[in-house]
Amino acid sequence: METFFNILLSGILLGGIYSLVSIGLNLIFGVVRIVNFAQGELVMLAMYATFFCFAKFGIGPYFAVFLVAPLMFLLGLAVQRLVLQPLQNEPMMQVFATFGLLILFENSVLAITRGEGYSLAGTYSRAVIDVFGLKASVSRVIVFLAATGIALALMLFLQRTMAGKAIRAVIQDRQSARLMGINVSRTYLLTFALGTALAGVAGALLAPIYTLSPYIGGNFILAAFAVVVLGGLGSVPGAYIGGLMVGLMESFAGYYVDPALKQAIWFIIFVVVLVVRPSGLMGQAGAEEVGLREQN
Amino acid sequence: MTPAQHEGASPPQSLGAAMLKYAGLLLLAALPLALLWNNSSWVGILATAYLFAALAAAWNIIGGFGGQFSLGHGVFFAIGAYTVARFYLDLGVTPWLGIFPAAALATIVALLISWPTFRLRGPFFAIATMAINEACFALANYSDAITGGPRGILIPFRAGLSNMIFIERWKYALLMFAFMAIVVLITVWLRRARLGHYLMAIRADEDAASAAGIDVLKAKLQGMALSAFLTGIGGGLFAMYIRVLDPPSLFTLPDIGVKFALIALIGGIGTIIGPVIGALLIVPLENFLRGWLGGDIPGGHLIILGAILVIASLFLKRGVVGALIAANRRVRGRR
Repeated sequence: METFFNILLSGILLGGIYSLVSIGLNLIFGVVRIVNFAQGELVMLAMYATFFCFAKFGIGPYFAVFLVAPLMFLLGLAVQRLVLQPLQNEPMMQVFATFGLLILFENSVLAITRGEGYSLAGTYSRAVIDVFGLKASVSRVIVFLAATGIALALMLFLQRTMAGKAIRAVIQDRQSARLMGINVSRTYLLTFALGTALAGVAGALLAPIYTLSPYIGGNFILAAFAVVVLGGLGSVPGAYIGGLMVGLMESFAGYYVDPALKQAIWFIIFVVVLVVRPSGLMGQAGAEEVGLREQN
Repeated sequence: MTPAQHEGASPPQSLGAAMLKYAGLLLLAALPLALLWNNSSWVGILATAYLFAALAAAWNIIGGFGGQFSLGHGVFFAIGAYTVARFYLDLGVTPWLGIFPAAALATIVALLISWPTFRLRGPFFAIATMAINEACFALANYSDAITGGPRGILIPFRAGLSNMIFIERWKYALLMFAFMAIVVLITVWLRRARLGHYLMAIRADEDAASAAGIDVLKAKLQGMALSAFLTGIGGGLFAMYIRVLDPPSLFTLPDIGVKFALIALIGGIGTIIGPVIGALLIVPLENFLRGWLGGDIPGGHLIILGAILVIASLFLKRGVVGALIAANRRVRGRR
């Protein structure tokens, strides 16, 4: 029984990681209608930036996050303005462009670090919380709490503020939103940058957990896509709950089936959701098709 | 996009004339091989370029003409490679025959995974196919008995025509060239066949195509089947060419699945000769960059390839062929 609860706990904590990574991706997905293949690499860049902050200036990751996230926001502004905005109505070219960015970021970091693996783990992830024999590392609990906090804050932001309402209007119908006087391209710009900044938060908080590698983005992106498809396109609570579900499924399958098959499990999630409910658990029905129609 | 932007909205030539025209262009593509006959490293690069031209042309059938942006063609490629290798090593079947079960298996798998994923459009289809590729990558690493797991399969070097293993590289180059010629001529036929028109109608507007009475799912599945069949053969040829099959060399996205699409993009998506031009540009360039930067800067050649991908998606959307057509029209317009 204790094993069961330990697997449950590790699944929830892993789910927190996936939620945190997926929320930014899903926001970009839902609003800007761009499938950002480079999102995992944005997380990776933030992880390296966090490591750099620690190694050069002695700034710990939980302080560095307040530095890294704004920097990633600026990077997001640049990427959206220079690369993605010109490709707004060309989904095929967006796939090429974001995949190009993926290859570019990944190998630039590889070239700079020369493939050396960095790790903050020795300094930060030793601390463990122990409740009735259930063990959880503090850094993972922090990620889970951050994912929960960000999901709640983002939902409040989207529901209560004017800017959030503008974003929701654009999600629903960009043409009508424009007629209501919403600056659609500025909404895109800010949303993409916000999604990138969230990748920055994720990267900073994940830096103490993982050994850094230029290819680590690949570990997140497929899981994040599975989360987004499961939770529903553009839905913040969907990304949060979807993340937890994918984490739990991976954790249980890893223990009871085989850890080497986790990609196969994501894929099964994909296919089952696609066949049964293509709009995901909390997405608008038909969003996976309508979302790509050209909207001017 | 106006129809005229793509080469010949209504093909002016008969099938025979078009076949002749593209056969002539293919002979032009053979020119570097004729000139560099004695240079073994160049002949090796050209063999790879011809093979990838054929694979990009096969991808182009569903990805270009059909507008279904698959990133999962690495799966069909790997199935072809593993099947040919297994038939050859376990049953002693010559690769010349082994490519047929390989292609058939690739087609069956393609149909099975396309049936659910074709419900998705555009980038969502791309994500799903990418997930398939990564899932199969993991499965290939996992299933030791078939794929040899992470260690891979080694096909022993036993030169001979019946083994499809040659000492001289130009024989490989000729083989790949012949394969490329077959795939290109198939796309010439497809471009004029009913299925080709269906696929292009679906690319332009899926709902309109459906309203016009096209069975969209059936046409997409047929296009995918043809594409996967040819990709499976290509994988089989690749297996006998490199003779060391491990999962990373068959499934790595920037090297395989995305490379097909990248080559088609550079040459011109949805054009017949575009994949050939793209491959003859990208494969030698990559080899050159790898040699130039590979030792000093790890991943250096991929940095440039990634940058090319971004820049081409921004400024070279119709590829080299599209740019040539546009330039040609501008020159004629001025007169």
